[in-house]
Amino acid sequence: MDVRVQKNEFARLALPDDLGLERLQKEWSLDIQPQESKTLIFWDSFEWGVWFGGYALYSCGERYHLSVRQAGWSEPALCEEQTKGRPRFWQDFETGPLRTALQELLGLRGLTPVAEGIFRQRRCDLRNDLEKVVCRLVLTSVSSAGKRGEKELLQSCQVLSLRGYESEAARVVECLTECGARGCEDAPLDVLLRYTHTLPQKYTLRPAFGLDMTTPARKATGRIVRTMLELAVSNLPGILNDLDTEFLHDYRICLRKMRSVLSLVKGVYPAEETQRMRQLLGDLARQTNRLRDLDVYLLAREEYLGLLPQELRPALNGMFTDFTAERGKEVRRTTSKIRSPSIRCLLKEIEHCFCEKTLHRASPAAELPVGPLVFSGIYKRYRKICKIAAQIDTETPDEGVHQLRIECKKLRYLMEFFGEMIPHEDGAALQKVLRRLQGRLGEFNDASVQQKSLLDYWKQKKPGSAVSLGLGGLISVLYQRQQQTRALIQQSLEEFCNGSTAAIFKRTFKLPASAPATDAP
Amino acid sequence: MNIISSYSIKGGVGKTALAVNLAFALRESGHRTLLIDLDPQGAAAFYFRVGSAKKFRMADKQSLAEGLLRNIRESDFPGLDILPSNLAYRHFDIVLDGMAKRRKQLRMVLEEFTPDYDVIVMDCPPNITLLSENIFRASDAIIVPVIPTVLSQRTLEQLSGFFRDEELPGDILRPFFSMVQKRNKMHREIMAELPAVYPGFLKTVIPFSADIEKMGLRRMPLLAYSATCEAALSYRTLCDEILSQTGPRPC
Repeated sequence: MDVRVQKNEFARLALPDDLGLERLQKEWSLDIQPQESKTLIFWDSFEWGVWFGGYALYSCGERYHLSVRQAGWSEPALCEEQTKGRPRFWQDFETGPLRTALQELLGLRGLTPVAEGIFRQRRCDLRNDLEKVVCRLVLTSVSSAGKRGEKELLQSCQVLSLRGYESEAARVVECLTECGARGCEDAPLDVLLRYTHTLPQKYTLRPAFGLDMTTPARKATGRIVRTMLELAVSNLPGILNDLDTEFLHDYRICLRKMRSVLSLVKGVYPAEETQRMRQLLGDLARQTNRLRDLDVYLLAREEYLGLLPQELRPALNGMFTDFTAERGKEVRRTTSKIRSPSIRCLLKEIEHCFCEKTLHRASPAAELPVGPLVFSGIYKRYRKICKIAAQIDTETPDEGVHQLRIECKKLRYLMEFFGEMIPHEDGAALQKVLRRLQGRLGEFNDASVQQKSLLDYWKQKKPGSAVSLGLGGLISVLYQRQQQTRALIQQSLEEFCNGSTAAIFKRTFKLPASAPATDAP
Repeated sequence: MNIISSYSIKGGVGKTALAVNLAFALRESGHRTLLIDLDPQGAAAFYFRVGSAKKFRMADKQSLAEGLLRNIRESDFPGLDILPSNLAYRHFDIVLDGMAKRRKQLRMVLEEFTPDYDVIVMDCPPNITLLSENIFRASDAIIVPVIPTVLSQRTLEQLSGFFRDEELPGDILRPFFSMVQKRNKMHREIMAELPAVYPGFLKTVIPFSADIEKMGLRRMPLLAYSATCEAALSYRTLCDEILSQTGPRPC
C-alpha cells in the first residue's frame, strides 16, 4: 500500500491555549462548525506491525478505521468497517481492503489496544471578501482517556490549503505563528503513546548481540542467553492471555536457542551447570509441546481441508472440533503451569545462572576468544552435515532425515548467533542456501510427524466411518507430499554440499592449523 | 478523462446554469471535475465566487497550458475546481489562429489536465468561431440547451448544419430541452416534434424555475442550496443520462 499524508495539508501547528482565531478574524470571516467529540482506541499487535507498516488502526465504538500513521485525525481513513463484536485477527474483518491490509500487517498476530484518547475537533473555513472559502482549518484537541483519567495533551491545527489559494494558507500560518503557534509533526497516536511512555520497538527473534571475534566465549554465550531469556519472558503475558499462537511459538524458539547455544559452544560453563540448565530449558519447552502441536494443526485447518475432495471435507470437521476442545484444555493447563511458582523459580534460576555478576568455576573455554571457537564449530558442523548427506538416499528412514534436519538447525543457530562476525555477503549467501534446505527438511519432517499423529487419532475412530475415511485420505496425501519432498531434499543437499557453497564455507570458516582447539574443551 | 461542453450559438438558453450544475452533480457522483469558464463574461466562475483569471502569455501550446493550470482555483466543494474566465479570452481566436494545427490546439492543451481530473466541463461562449471549432474537436459530448421555441430550433439547425459542412462527428451533439414551461402550448408542440429530427436528443428536460434564477443571488450551484427541488433533481438525472452515453473519443 502507498503511504501518503493528506495532499492539501499545508501546515500542522501546535497551538497555545489562546487559539489565535481572533487574529484571523481581522483578515477573513470565520465559519466555525460545531465541535465533534470521539473516544478512539488505537490497536496494534505485539510486534507493532501496523505502526511499522506506517499505519494507525483505531476504533470508535465498533467501527474500525485504518489510516496513514502520520495523518491528522481529520483525514478520511483509507478503509473502514463496522464490525460485530471485537475483532482480534485479520480474518475477523469482513470487507476486502481492511482485511487485506491487516493480513499483510498482522500475519498470525492478534490485535491488542495500545492507546486510548478523546479527540475534540472543530472545522473552520476562512472566507475572503467574496465569501469564497480560501483556507480550511481543522482544530483538534487530544486528551488522554482510560484508567489514567482525562488530561489535555495537545491542541493542534491543521492548515489545509485550497488549490490556487496557497498564498492565503501561508498568510494564515504567519498569523497563527505570530500568536505563538509552533510547527508540530506529531500525529495523534504519537502524542498518546508518549504520554503513556510507550515506545514501539522492532521485535525480532534474531537480535544483534554486539559480539566480535575477540569477545571472551563465556561473556558472549551469557549475553546471548540473557537476551533470549528476556525475549522468552516478554512472550509470557501473551501466552497467559492466549492472544495469538505466536507468543508460544516464539517462547519455544527462545528456549530452544538458549539450549542450543549452551551445547554448541562447549566448555564455556562448568559441565554440570550446563547440563542442569539444558535440562531446565528442555523441561520448560516440553510442557508446551502438545499445545504447540494443536496450534499447528488448527492453523493448517484450511490447508488440510484443501487437500481433500469436497465430499470428504465435512468428515474432518469433527477432528478439528476435537482439537479445538483439547486446545482449550491445554491452554488452561499450560497457563496454570506458567503462573505456578515453580516455573517462576526455574526462570529465576536460569536468569541468575547467566547474570553477568554470577561467579562460576573456571572452565577450559570460558576466556577463549569466541570467534575462532565458533568458526571452527561452524565448519565442523558443516562437514558433519555433508557426511550425513552422503548417506541419504530415497531409502533412508525418516529418522535419518530428521537427524540431518537437527544438525542443519544447529548450524543455522550458530550462524545466526554469531552472524555479526561473518562477512555480510558470504553470510547472506550461505543463509539463503541453508534456509532452502531447511525449508524442505522441515516440510518432510512435518509431513512425517503429522502422519504419525493423525494415524494415532485415526486408530481411535471406528473403521469405515466418515471421519476415518477423511483421515485416511489426508494421511495418503501427506505421505505423497513427503515422498515428493524427498526428491527436492536430494537436490538441495547437492547444492549445499558442493560447488560454491562448499568453497564459501571453507574460505570463511576453516581456520589455519595453528588456531585454538574448537568444539571440545 | 471525459470532456463535456455546454454550448449553444444562442445566448440566454441556460448554458451556464447547465455547466455549473452538471459540474456539481459530477463531483457529487465522485468524479474529480474541472469546470472551465471559456465565456469572457465569466458567469460560471461568478457562481462559485471565484475572481477572474490572471493574465498570462498565450504564445504557444505550452505557455497556454501552463497559464491555464496556474489559474485553476479550488471551489468551496472538494472535488470540483474552477478555471475562471478572463476578458483576454476574447482574443482566443487570434491566438489559436497563429498556431499550427489550429483547430485541434485546445484538445492538446486539455490533455495536460488528464492526471488531475476525471471530467472537464466547459462553459462555452455563444458564437461560432475558431475557438468553437476547437471546442467541437476537443469534446466527447456537446450538450446543447434548447428552449422549445422557434428561434432555438433554428439555431440548433444552424449548428447541426455546421457539423455536416465541416464533417464534424454529429453524434457528439446532445441537445436537450431547457427552461421548459409545461403550460406553454408552443413548448409542448415543439417538444413533441424536435427529438424525432435529432437522434441524439436527451430525454431529460430542465424546467423553467425561479430556483435556478436565484443562483445569481446565492452565488452557488442550485444543487448546493436547493438539492431536492424539481430542477435540481432534473440536473442530476441529466448528469446520469449524459454519463451513461458519453465515453472518451479516440484521439
